[in-house]
Amino acid sequence: MAQSTLGIAKRSQIPFKLVTVSGIIFLIMAAFPLFFGSFQISLMSKLLLFGALAVSLDLVWGFTGILSFAHGVFFTLGGYAMAYYLKLNLAADGNTYGIDLPDFMVWNGLEKLPWFIAPLKYFPIAAVAMVAIPAIFAYLVGTFIFRSKVSGVYITIITLAISSALTTFFISQQAYTGGTNGITDVSRLSIAGVDVPLNGLYWMILLFTGCVLAGSYWLTKSNLGLILRSIKENENRISYLGYDVASFKIFIWTLSAGIAGIAGGLFVPLNRFISPVYLAVAFGTQVVIWVAIGGRGTLIGPIIAAMLLGQVQNYAERVTQDWQLVVGILLLVVVVFIPDGLVGTIAKLFKPKQKVAR
Amino acid sequence: MKADQERSKKRKNMFYYLAQEEAASSFSSIALANQLVNGIGIVGILLLTGLGLAITFGVMRIINLAHGEFIMLGAYVTFVLQSNFNLDLLLTIPFSFLITGAIGALVELTIIRRLYGRPLETLLATWGLSIVLQGVIKLIFTAQLKYVKAPPYISGNLTLLTDEQGSPAIAISYYRLFIVAIALALLALTSYLLNNTDLGRQVRSVTQNRDMSKCLGVNTSLVDMITFAYGCGLAGVAGTVISSLKSVSPPMGQDYLVDAWMTVVTGGVDKLVGVLAGAFLIGQSNAGIAYLLNDPVARVIVLGAVIVLIRYFPEGLFTVQKRS
Repeated sequence: MAQSTLGIAKRSQIPFKLVTVSGIIFLIMAAFPLFFGSFQISLMSKLLLFGALAVSLDLVWGFTGILSFAHGVFFTLGGYAMAYYLKLNLAADGNTYGIDLPDFMVWNGLEKLPWFIAPLKYFPIAAVAMVAIPAIFAYLVGTFIFRSKVSGVYITIITLAISSALTTFFISQQAYTGGTNGITDVSRLSIAGVDVPLNGLYWMILLFTGCVLAGSYWLTKSNLGLILRSIKENENRISYLGYDVASFKIFIWTLSAGIAGIAGGLFVPLNRFISPVYLAVAFGTQVVIWVAIGGRGTLIGPIIAAMLLGQVQNYAERVTQDWQLVVGILLLVVVVFIPDGLVGTIAKLFKPKQKVAR
Repeated sequence: MKADQERSKKRKNMFYYLAQEEAASSFSSIALANQLVNGIGIVGILLLTGLGLAITFGVMRIINLAHGEFIMLGAYVTFVLQSNFNLDLLLTIPFSFLITGAIGALVELTIIRRLYGRPLETLLATWGLSIVLQGVIKLIFTAQLKYVKAPPYISGNLTLLTDEQGSPAIAISYYRLFIVAIALALLALTSYLLNNTDLGRQVRSVTQNRDMSKCLGVNTSLVDMITFAYGCGLAGVAGTVISSLKSVSPPMGQDYLVDAWMTVVTGGVDKLVGVLAGAFLIGQSNAGIAYLLNDPVARVIVLGAVIVLIRYFPEGLFTVQKRS
């Protein structure tokens, strides 16, 4: 009880210090493209997106206690929606075979654009689809699994199965998804006929990640966030208090899938391809690792972990082939010895001790 | 441009050819029977890989995502013994059981024990462990594919039925039968150990009610260690037996991990027969659907079915009513 009232008291103040500090960091990040080359900008943009993806998982795992390996799936579904748009626009320009068909569909003997892909030719539809497809998929899955007595570990196993099944499915439907290669050689992103330069894309992504972070912060400090955290701590007690636990879970699950989908959609114009690699369990665990190392329930931790590990990986992979071994050892050490994650532990060290109500 | 067009034409032709071939091999009960007989081989592999997992999950309620890597370790033990001492594959089974079991005990002592009662943390830690084990093996043996020889006396096919031309219509390789035999033998052994020994009784009591067993003087931490080591040892045996089917490589365990988990959650972990049932259900439905449609679709359907199953029977199909 003391904990919760403390939370409400804090919430009513506007955190000026936090706003100033994050504003300054945002401005520094915004100035980033002015000082670095296109390779660094592109890498940084990808890492920002991975950061947003990690935050979306943090909402579900760190705050609500649902460990998901399927966030790579939501990311990739959004990515495919955008990739179809970019690919179809390339095909319409007459670059391939003179017909309005992406190359991989021609190779696989398709003669006509399938009806379920055709609408993605238009930007507004693709933009909506990149959020809606993962969100609807997550909503259906969430409604199915959260409205039952399935809990904790079994949900995680279900997410593993989803990731594994979809990977197999996308690889097998070669004519529609491009199989193992995925959708490659997509066109550059252009909105309303204007090409978006790399810097523009970077700023868009920075804005998106900033919004995700700010929105998540606001969400977790709100009453809703309090309920979510309580679900993580003691699900039964919350349901005895009259809250419909399943609805809250489904809401946050769908929201987080939507965020992951947008991140995936923005990832494609940067990466210039999307493939089942991002659907697979390995990528899903990569996201989990970022959140675990950064610190569950800290929001900023997962972003920092994703960006730091990504940057280090970029250099380490040139020097050694055993970068994954280092990640594994890091994960083991964090899980066994510092379960709060790096940022969580540092925050604990500097936090003044809370007064305990007696 | 022109070359591209020709290539696309060729691809198209190939596609039509494939489609025709598919249409030609229309439904035949003998081919289906053959598929189902060969599905028994898949059942054997699932049983073998799921058994160790079922025991550790049942007793300790921990999610071991490094199970695939213990399978991989078993395969490497066989590879090392075979390439250095020219040992027969069958003779390496005890070694791989003991070595992977010892590594499992070490892991339990250093990592799993610290995370007791936090299943999601163990899941993460074992995932980290799986990355580390893969990395270490890659450091020692490089990422190159290694090959293990199957015992020469277990070769050839058992033909159950021949068609008019005298070629086998329903056939299964002896090696797959051997896998099934090993899996069943291990199942019987485990069942004997669980039901007819003192340690087994303690293990079962811990499975049913950990706190109560502790009160009654069962050394639960010792039981945990032995169970985990035994589960890992079984994974090692699975690795040895599977090693000659495909190549041996650091990421080989990943292929078996998800399927082994699906087997375990389908059958439930309260009774050993659950694992057998899970393996049978998944293996045979996979084989049957793969015959009617195709392999990837079969996998997707089976995984979807398992998800639905977990939704309605989270404890698996074969459960014991118990107070918690």
